[in-house]
Amino acid sequence: MNQSTAIAFMRRLRAGLDSGLELPEALTKGATALPRDARHTIELILDRLDGDYPEDEWGFDEEFAELVEPFFAFLYESWWRVKVDGAERVPAHGRALLTANHAGILPWDGTMISMALLREHPLPRYPRFLVLNWAFDLPWVSSAIRKVGGVVASPFNALRLLEQDQLVAVFPEGVKGTGKAFSDRYRLQRFGRGGFVEIALRTGAPIVPVAVVGSEEIYPKIADIPPLARVFGAPFFPVTPTFPWLGPLGVVPLPSKWRIEFLEPIETASYGPEAAADRALVLELSERVRDEIQQALYANLVRRGLAFI
Amino acid sequence: MLITGVGSQVGSLLAAQLERDPDVEYVAGLDTRRPRLQLDHTEFLEADIRDPQIGRLIPPTGVDTIVHEQIVRQPGPRMSSLAMHDVNVIGTLQLLAACERVQTLRTIVVRGSAGVYGAEPQAPQFFREEMATMFPLRTRFQRDVAEIENYFETYARRHAAVRCTMLRYQPAIGPNLRTQITRYLSQPVCPTYMGFDPRIQLVHIDDALEAITAAVRNPVPGAVNVAGPGTIGLARMIRLAGKRALPIAAPLFGPVTSTGQRLGLDAQSEDFQRLLRYGRGVDTRRLTDEVGYTPRYSTVAAVEDWVRQAREAA
Repeated sequence: MNQSTAIAFMRRLRAGLDSGLELPEALTKGATALPRDARHTIELILDRLDGDYPEDEWGFDEEFAELVEPFFAFLYESWWRVKVDGAERVPAHGRALLTANHAGILPWDGTMISMALLREHPLPRYPRFLVLNWAFDLPWVSSAIRKVGGVVASPFNALRLLEQDQLVAVFPEGVKGTGKAFSDRYRLQRFGRGGFVEIALRTGAPIVPVAVVGSEEIYPKIADIPPLARVFGAPFFPVTPTFPWLGPLGVVPLPSKWRIEFLEPIETASYGPEAAADRALVLELSERVRDEIQQALYANLVRRGLAFI
Repeated sequence: MLITGVGSQVGSLLAAQLERDPDVEYVAGLDTRRPRLQLDHTEFLEADIRDPQIGRLIPPTGVDTIVHEQIVRQPGPRMSSLAMHDVNVIGTLQLLAACERVQTLRTIVVRGSAGVYGAEPQAPQFFREEMATMFPLRTRFQRDVAEIENYFETYARRHAAVRCTMLRYQPAIGPNLRTQITRYLSQPVCPTYMGFDPRIQLVHIDDALEAITAAVRNPVPGAVNVAGPGTIGLARMIRLAGKRALPIAAPLFGPVTSTGQRLGLDAQSEDFQRLLRYGRGVDTRRLTDEVGYTPRYSTVAAVEDWVRQAREAA
C-alpha cells in the first residue's frame, strides 16, 4: 500500500460522512477505494467478529492480529515512516518487560512498538500490552484491544503474563503520559510508584527501556475539558487542532515522523524475587529506566529533525 | 455427611455421587423439595433451611461433614429476590446456628460463587482468592455471597477444630444441566452488549461435583476458586452453540431484555447482565496445588460437551 491509496480512502470516508452516512457505512464505502486484497481482509475481519476462531485465555487472537496488520503496516511505513534502532536487543524468547514512554491520547505507540518488533526483530513476536483501564468499558474498543494482545493494566495481569514467559509492554507514565499537554512533550512524567520494577523483580524478567519519538505530535493536545471527560467516563477530554472540530475525522492522527529505539536490557533476575519489597532498589531501578528513556528521547529528537517532513 | 439443598439439580447429583463413595458411611439431604434423582441410601430431611427447627434436626444425625449447597444463584420465575436473599443469608445463619450443636462436626464445604468478585471492566483477567474485596459489591446476589462468606469466616475463627472451605464457583455448564448459562444459550437468539465480547469462564458439572468431593477429602481452610482452565469469548460461545447473537446497545439492554421476558424469553439477573458485558475469570492454581484437584474440562471443552449433548437431544 502507498500513500495515495490512503488518501483515496480518507477522501471516500469524508465524502461518505458528508452525505450523511453513519461511520460504519462510511468506512465500508471508503474501503472500496482500497486494493482488492485489503478489501478481502476487511471482509474476513467482519466475519471473524461473529465468532469462530481460536483465542488464548486473554482473548488474544493471533490470526486477527495478522489480519489487521496491513492497516498498521500502512501507518508504520507510510503515515509515520517509523525508523527503528536496537530491535535485536529485545530477547527472542522468554519473559521480558518492555517499558516505554507514553503519549498521544490513543495508544498508537503500543501498536507501533508491536509493528517494530514484527518487522525488525530477527524472531518476530507479539508483545502483550497493559492498556489503560477505562478503555475496557468502551464498546468495540475493548474487544479489539483484547484481540490484538491488550490486557487491563493490572499488576496481576502483568505477573501472570510474565510467568507465562510472554513479552509484556508497559507504559509507567500511564494516563499522565497520554493526557499531558503539547507544551510538555517529551518530558517524561513520574513513573508511578515503580510498580513495573516490582513486577520485573518478582518474575526475574529483564527490563527493556523503549524510547518512542513521534507519538507526541499525532494529537497535539492544546486544552482539556474536564466536564465532558466526566460525561464520557474518560480521564480527560482532549482538544487538538482537529478534535472535536472535524468530528470522527479528528481521530485521524497527524502524520509525524517516528523513531523507536530499544535500549540495552536491564537484567533483574540476579536480585531475586524478594528484592521486590526493597523500596530503595525499586525506586533506584525505576529512576534509572526513566533516565535512560529520557536521554534516548532527546538523542532521537535531534536525530529525527523536523517533526513532520 | 449432610448436604443442604439436596432438592436442586446439582444437590441431587452430588448426593448420588457421595452415596457411591466407599469412604462415605452416611448421607443425609436437607431441603423442602424431594431430590430429583432416585437416591438409595440418602436420608431425606424435609425442612426449610430458614426454619430454626433445623437446629433440632441436624445434631442427632451426628455428621462430621456438611456440604452447604443451598445457595440460590438466580431467583426463579416464582421467587422474589427477597426470598432468594432469605434462603441465602438467613438459611446460612440458621445452618451455622445448628452447627454450633453438632459436636462431631469437622468439615464444612460451601458451594459458594465467584460472583462475589463481580464483573468489572477494570478487573484483572484472573481473580485470585485474596481479591474478593477489590471492587464494591454492586448487586444483591454479590452482597448475599459476601455475607455468607463473612458468616463462615466468623464461624471458622471461633471453631478451630472445624475446617471451612469456601468454594467460589464460576457458572456451571454440562449435559442436561439447567443453569442460567444453558438457558441463555438455549434461547432462539442470545442478547449481547453491542461492541462487547467478554471473556467468560465456566466449569463443567462433572468437575463441579468432583471439586466438592476433593474439598471434602482435603478441606483447605479459606476460599478456593473453582473453574475450568482458560476462558472463552462470548461471541465464540454463542457460535459454538449454533445460535445467533442479538447485539443491543448498552443503555437499551435492560429495557429490551425485560420486554423479551414479558414475551416469554429468559430473564437475565443483574449479575448475569454484568457478566455478559464485562466477563470474569478466576485463577485456579489454589484448587490444583492445595486441594489437589485438576479440572478435566477446560472452559471451551465444557461448552463443547454441552453443545454436543444439546444437539443430540434436539
